Amino acid sequence: MGISFLTPLILAGLAALAVPVIVHLTQSARKNVVPFPSLMFVRQIPFRSVRRQRIRHWLLFTLRCLAVVLLVAAFARPLLEGSTEAVVALSRAREVVILIDRSYSMGYGDHWERALEAGRRAIDGVGPDDRATLVLFADRAEVLNQRTADRATLHARLATAELGSGTTRYAGALEVARGILERSDRPRGEVVLISDFQKAGWDASEVLQLPQRTILTSVDLSAPDPKNISVQDVTLERDPRPGGDRVTISALIANHGSEAADDVELSLELEGESVQSQAVSIAARNSVMIRFEPISLPQRVTAGAVRTGGDALSSDDVFRFVAVPSSPISVLVVQPNEREGGGLYLQQVLSLGNDPVFELEVKRGTRLTRADLASTDVIVLNDVPLPGGEAGRGVRDFVREGGGLLLVLGRRTPPSVWPASAEELLPGTIGAPVDRSAEGGSTLSTLDYDHAALEIFSAPRSGDFTMARFFRFRSLQPSEGSRVIARFGDGAAALTEKGDGLGQGRVLVWASDFENFWNDLAVQPVFLPFVHRLVMYLAGYVEPEPWFEVGDVVDLAAAEGGGGEGGGGRIPGAGFERAPGDEEEWVLEEPRGERSVISVEGGPIFLELARPGFYRVRDASPGSSAEPIYTLAVNLDPSESDLATIDPAELASVATAGGGGGGGGEALAADVAELLTPQERERRQGIWWYLLSGAALLLLAETALSNLTARYRSHATVTAPRP
Amino acid sequence: MSYSRFLDPEVLARIDNLELLARTVVDGFINGLHRSLYLGFSIDFAEHRPYMPGDDIRRIDWRVFGRTDRLYMKEFEADTNASFIVALDISRSMEYSSAGISKLDYARYLAACLTFLSRRQRDRVGIVTFDEELVDIVPASAKHLDIVLHTLDRLEVGKSGGLERPVLKMAELLRRRSIVTLVSDLYHSPETVLHSLSYLKNRGNEVIVFHILDPAELEFPFEDMGNFEDLETGERVPVIPEKIRDEYREQVRAHTEGLAKLLGENGIDYFLFDTSTPLDYALFKYLSRREQLSRVR
Repeated sequence: MGISFLTPLILAGLAALAVPVIVHLTQSARKNVVPFPSLMFVRQIPFRSVRRQRIRHWLLFTLRCLAVVLLVAAFARPLLEGSTEAVVALSRAREVVILIDRSYSMGYGDHWERALEAGRRAIDGVGPDDRATLVLFADRAEVLNQRTADRATLHARLATAELGSGTTRYAGALEVARGILERSDRPRGEVVLISDFQKAGWDASEVLQLPQRTILTSVDLSAPDPKNISVQDVTLERDPRPGGDRVTISALIANHGSEAADDVELSLELEGESVQSQAVSIAARNSVMIRFEPISLPQRVTAGAVRTGGDALSSDDVFRFVAVPSSPISVLVVQPNEREGGGLYLQQVLSLGNDPVFELEVKRGTRLTRADLASTDVIVLNDVPLPGGEAGRGVRDFVREGGGLLLVLGRRTPPSVWPASAEELLPGTIGAPVDRSAEGGSTLSTLDYDHAALEIFSAPRSGDFTMARFFRFRSLQPSEGSRVIARFGDGAAALTEKGDGLGQGRVLVWASDFENFWNDLAVQPVFLPFVHRLVMYLAGYVEPEPWFEVGDVVDLAAAEGGGGEGGGGRIPGAGFERAPGDEEEWVLEEPRGERSVISVEGGPIFLELARPGFYRVRDASPGSSAEPIYTLAVNLDPSESDLATIDPAELASVATAGGGGGGGGEALAADVAELLTPQERERRQGIWWYLLSGAALLLLAETALSNLTARYRSHATVTAPRP
Repeated sequence: MSYSRFLDPEVLARIDNLELLARTVVDGFINGLHRSLYLGFSIDFAEHRPYMPGDDIRRIDWRVFGRTDRLYMKEFEADTNASFIVALDISRSMEYSSAGISKLDYARYLAACLTFLSRRQRDRVGIVTFDEELVDIVPASAKHLDIVLHTLDRLEVGKSGGLERPVLKMAELLRRRSIVTLVSDLYHSPETVLHSLSYLKNRGNEVIVFHILDPAELEFPFEDMGNFEDLETGERVPVIPEKIRDEYREQVRAHTEGLAKLLGENGIDYFLFDTSTPLDYALFKYLSRREQLSRVR
């Protein structure tokens, strides 16, 4: 295809290009005063003149030159040569992206079957020059096929589609559609969105603009007045008993419909058998918390569920959980000798607590033996120095092998009473007492809420340390590598953790007492959770998760042996120990009954919890117990249960820039029709009109840009004060 | 129609009523969230506190009473409110605007939206404005939303700016731990800013810094030579912009990075915005931090 001109002499007008050059070169610079917020960064430099006669605004200059060129070219009447039939044929071809919502809310009634039927109809509409792509989406989008015009292939791929367990997110699906359309060579695009148009999946700030000339066709499957009752949450309130925990189970039930629901049946199931049931009435768009009668649980992992039923969306009618027997933390408190007393407050707070339970044993300092440490998780030396001899070596070995040690410094632990062997355990050098009683006592001024032991106190009013007054404390000069977790008002270390070099163990040093003598922390409300958190941290205690959510990923290998740093302790049943020589294979049972073999080779074993239900891991070795090693309950994201909808037209108007996508397609069709008229050759001269329009647009842009430049050039303005 | 167009600061400037503006922004922002970050009730245990006459006896922890013979009240997370204070810089430099709205107007809208959002979360709200001294002081209270909005509405630009002195006074005035949000253009060295804010931080307050700058302060887009006049001191300096532009940008970049690094290392959240940034971005940053603060595990 070539270009010729009907009136080439007009091209001599290109000499007018000299005009913008002259305009630029004759501009003069102006001196002015520029108000500026602060000259903090403006370097002091002397005022120097610059050469005026040079081009500064290259963009403006280019715009003006281009405008002149387009004007001259338009009047020269350019003529396009060549055939347009191939272009016309291609102009009718479409790139079709069929987005099918597979979130679990599509399981409502017959929505999923209708979605598949709508998908089949969309496939049947794909023409020979079109290309189509099937995309299933929920919170993630999955492309089912490479773009193709073969309807049989598309139907075959659609037949493999399954309802998912995720939540609706339109932004991800539209992003995938946009990527496909942007890579397409077809001039027209169409997105067919088949969904129940849940409001929960719509985020106006995330929605993307589809390319120009794209039509968004919505297939709305939402029910006019949906009724849905779901179990949103379950809480377990534990009361440990010697023969097994006594647990009170509460469930949050929500009615998402616009009418009240009466006599909704709820049942509590343990190991697949119903043990209690209740009937409840729930107002429209409301929720209620139901408490079941307390039940006794056996000393093993128990799988349970709270179930309701009878509505059109059954997948959110059940909420699963796993109840794990309480795992007590054994704490050995070493007190000063009997005649010196003390330890009342510490023993009181460690005798409280249900989750976890603290098994407290108290020993006097002189009576501590190595045998006392055998079944202990945490040792507290409460104003007692590290014992010497075999007992002291026992404490050091205990820490090296993973035990926790809390050293409480008070009036009975001056530097002189510490044996030299204690240096290995201490995170610094203990010094003389610091007296702040004359100033009314010091406070804790800085706490490192990023530390695992204090993280729970980071929220406002979740533990107020500022009320505690410290009249005396013992100075501690932290050694290199140690971490100061809390400081007194003058910056002195209050709570310090020993750094590396102690094997698996953890050591914390608290630089004042727990006796309501050097300070009044022991009578503050925060004392109980503070001591509990310190002991739980030292014991490496991690609360098992009663359930997970679809999409979570867990590391089964990290749970083995108790979890440790990998966070595997969250997995119910964590702590399983493989005996030497065990077969290195486990069997995974998934919620739908599929079984697969997991090879245990020492690395991480990541398991994606893709479906709701119970995942069970069993030992495959011959003669092993039939009880699962791990049992994980997995639930759906409850936000998807709310079936409130948005107007599909609103989504379409945002995604296609105000609904202009459809207009773009019609405009293209009109262009094609024009190309097929008998006056085609004459019309091919019509390019002059576009050139003139282009010149006009350039001149408009030039005007706007020059105004903007002039505004900056004059000065930045200062807004007038408000009246 | 998308709510996002209502979050453009220039569009918001056409709304005269500050409460309507804050409501428009916050409602639009909240409606855009997937799920509520603040609704619903929690049964997460927060803390014990001693019983006081008039307390609801149903919340006494009888188990603790049985063990200690003292009456303690159980408090839960949903019952606990935070105090939210906006510390707004109204020094003369905040009056600057290269195009669109001024930094002071942007800070005014931001403060109104944050206050409105915090009140929606049932926090107590208050405001302190300052230049080289404290100017307006509205203590945090659950009933002070209207007073805060009225204070913001009648704000006038003050004198030249300071930071350490007004922040120290503010820290002495705060009687309970609060979330303090500083909105300023921070024409002070990072060390000075940290030193000043440590008065608040060391008293247990959570501090969030919104650093507001005009796009022209970031990019220095001026072309013609001229006498640059400091809005706070009146000092004039002859400047050839193109000669110093790169160095100026480098200094601003070093300044903002220095602030982010130094404040971040000391547990203070720092966010930089220019006055063309939509307000929902700032709200999202704040709400993310607020959610993190309210988390109890």
